[in-house]
Amino acid sequence: MKTQLTISIDPIDEAALVKRREMGDGMGAVVCFSGVVRGREGHASITAIDYEAHEEMARHQFGLIFEAIEQRWPVDSVRLVHRLGLVPVNEPSLWVEVIAPHRAEAFAACQFLIEEMKQKVPIWKKPLPA
Amino acid sequence: MIITVQFWSYFADYTGCKKTEIETENGTTLAKLHERVCEQFPKLAEAKNSTLKAVGVNYQDDDFMLSDGDEVSFFPPVQGG
Repeated sequence: MKTQLTISIDPIDEAALVKRREMGDGMGAVVCFSGVVRGREGHASITAIDYEAHEEMARHQFGLIFEAIEQRWPVDSVRLVHRLGLVPVNEPSLWVEVIAPHRAEAFAACQFLIEEMKQKVPIWKKPLPA
Repeated sequence: MIITVQFWSYFADYTGCKKTEIETENGTTLAKLHERVCEQFPKLAEAKNSTLKAVGVNYQDDDFMLSDGDEVSFFPPVQGG
């Protein structure tokens, strides 16, 4: 399984990421997910979220999740981008792409990846009030 | 032995520092170190039950035996995405 992990303060350029997509032989499903900063956290309006990571551990933990995906589904490729630092409202903080032969495993692996990330990958957010 | 301890997210606000070094006796477990750190920084004790603990890049259980030079991280529940 091919994997590509980017953790960066740079804005996520979804169009460029899609343009660089490489479909393997026999692959028929691409699931993409964008996590976008909402304008509200609870009942409060916010302008941005400031993301912080224990980056070395985050990379390792993402690697473990990728390994678990490879063991469980016939996924050909996973690309994940997580932005750090200040991410303004309506901009993506997370972008995930899973490519697999069929949609069932692509959806399942993408969901698994995000759920595991939210349990194990040491990234935290601090909302900035409006 | 010397253990480097890092605090992440709002735990660094609780302690007033991102990193500190703690000298402790051989055979100290991760739980024992956590107790010691909570005594040193009482606000951390309020979040004791929800604290996640890692040594290097891996999560470890409370009974993990620390070694000289280990880098321990204490942090609140993660919130990526």
